[in-house]
Amino acid sequence: MIYGLKRVIKYVLGTDIAGRNLAVFPDDTFIVSYPRSGNTWTRFLVANLVYPNQAVTFANIEQLIPDSEAMSSRYVKRIPRPRIIKSHQYFDPRYGKIIYIVRDPRDVALSYYDFARKYRQIENDYPLTSFASDFVAGRLSSSDWGTWGENVASWLYTRGSQPQFLLLRYEDMLRDTEAELGKISRLLGMEATPERLRTAIERSSAERMRRLEADQGDQWVSTKNKRSDIPFVRTASSGLWKEKLPASSALEIESAWGPLMRELGYSLTTNRGEYGTAVESPELVKEHR
Amino acid sequence: MFSRLIGGSKMLLGLHKPRRSLKIWPDDIFLVSFPKSGNTWTRFLIANLVFPDAPVGFKNIHKLVPDPYGTSKRDMERMARPRIIKSHECFEPRYPRVMYIVRDPRDVVISQYHYHRKCKKIEDGYPMEKFVDRFVAGDTCPHGSWGENVGTWLTARHNDPRFLLLKYEDMVADTQRELGRVAAFVGIKADSERIAKAVERSSADRMRKLERAQADECGLTKDSRKDLSFVRAAKSGSWQKDLSEPLVAKIEDAWPQLMVFLGYKLVTRGTAGQPAEFSSLVSSGV
Repeated sequence: MIYGLKRVIKYVLGTDIAGRNLAVFPDDTFIVSYPRSGNTWTRFLVANLVYPNQAVTFANIEQLIPDSEAMSSRYVKRIPRPRIIKSHQYFDPRYGKIIYIVRDPRDVALSYYDFARKYRQIENDYPLTSFASDFVAGRLSSSDWGTWGENVASWLYTRGSQPQFLLLRYEDMLRDTEAELGKISRLLGMEATPERLRTAIERSSAERMRRLEADQGDQWVSTKNKRSDIPFVRTASSGLWKEKLPASSALEIESAWGPLMRELGYSLTTNRGEYGTAVESPELVKEHR
Repeated sequence: MFSRLIGGSKMLLGLHKPRRSLKIWPDDIFLVSFPKSGNTWTRFLIANLVFPDAPVGFKNIHKLVPDPYGTSKRDMERMARPRIIKSHECFEPRYPRVMYIVRDPRDVVISQYHYHRKCKKIEDGYPMEKFVDRFVAGDTCPHGSWGENVGTWLTARHNDPRFLLLKYEDMVADTQRELGRVAAFVGIKADSERIAKAVERSSADRMRKLERAQADECGLTKDSRKDLSFVRAAKSGSWQKDLSEPLVAKIEDAWPQLMVFLGYKLVTRGTAGQPAEFSSLVSSGV
């Protein structure tokens, strides 16, 4: 007779995680990505850009750019509008303005492996090759957000060509942060001077974020009670998969999403991706761009 | 806070509609489509196939082939498994197995127009041109545009063994054969007699009669205009006479490749937008 009493109490109090049930307003902007694709760095960049007179830290990032996957529906509802919200959701037709960050899935797998160990989702000695297979097959705890390919393709196909959708590659953001942050500021309708962009970039540097994490790791919803010997802010680099990811795992990823990866400019180590099956119709993805 | 208290008491009893919070079981099978694409007809076909002894009608369809937006959580959890669940969502990675019905968007827009009149969302005489603009922009229902809904499913699941693509037009042309594909996908051993019976019991005539008798007992039709029926023409291709050429062009310009990919021939874009076999027919003068 009693259906999930705990869940009901959470609902009444509004402490249920916002997630896919988030109440969306028309003036919301979303920072969307698959996990481990540079979303937290982008949140810091944007927060430092939009709130230049405030020290952005892990202790207050949730008030500035709340994480709809970690915070309660009441919490996110009370953020002053217009809100900028972090999300990992696959295509949601209600989202209006979107910054979508994409990253080479071979690097994502590697970063995710450390993250899963930090979160104690896998044992410390769980083989990386098995993890890569789980990543491709959608067997991770985050698979409710789809696989990498499903998440990316669902947004690119539907919104890829629209002016309210900004596609950023993590690799480009590393290479020329100022140019990419400039695109974000234009999407947000801001006239940001080069100085303002540069200040935001400095304040969001990997070193500074690492220091903040070391100081405040136990105050942030996403690192609290997780293993502190593995950092959340990792290498902040691209292409590490070339030395760290076993060739068989790279191949597995490429044969799952080869056409989509090539479409995004991630060169494949083999031609195996030609016969990728996960996205059968890259021409459909292209249609909207 | 107060509305959450009322909602909370309903939740406590399991009387609320689970909507996006639906708890999905690994053996669930979903029947998905953009609205007005033959979903209700297919629900009847499936209900009559799976429950040959039940009196399938508008008043109990939500308990046979449930709808997370129309069936209570309690009913959803008390159903026999595997459940076959109706949905209009865009791509949902959590759905384990999916039958997806697609219909020519030029017909969908007409059907949706009349449905909006029936639901009093638009008035009689509302300009079709305005409605087509809203349809193309994805502004006529909360499930994305036609292209977004169809496209997210196809790009993610096309050719996947967990996915069965059904075309409304094929279902109208050969219901028996298409329901046979559904039976195989769902894992029901049905001989042609059982399939034929389900088809007969889900005929447009019979559904119209059921609608007239039970309209007030069904969430789909309860608060809508009774002078317009929910079960409409049950035909394909009526856009050719009901939709003016400029409006056809608006739809074809919105999703040309997706329509061609699905075999919906374009009529307003010359030969450029045509599938290969069609343009070769044109050039050979047939």
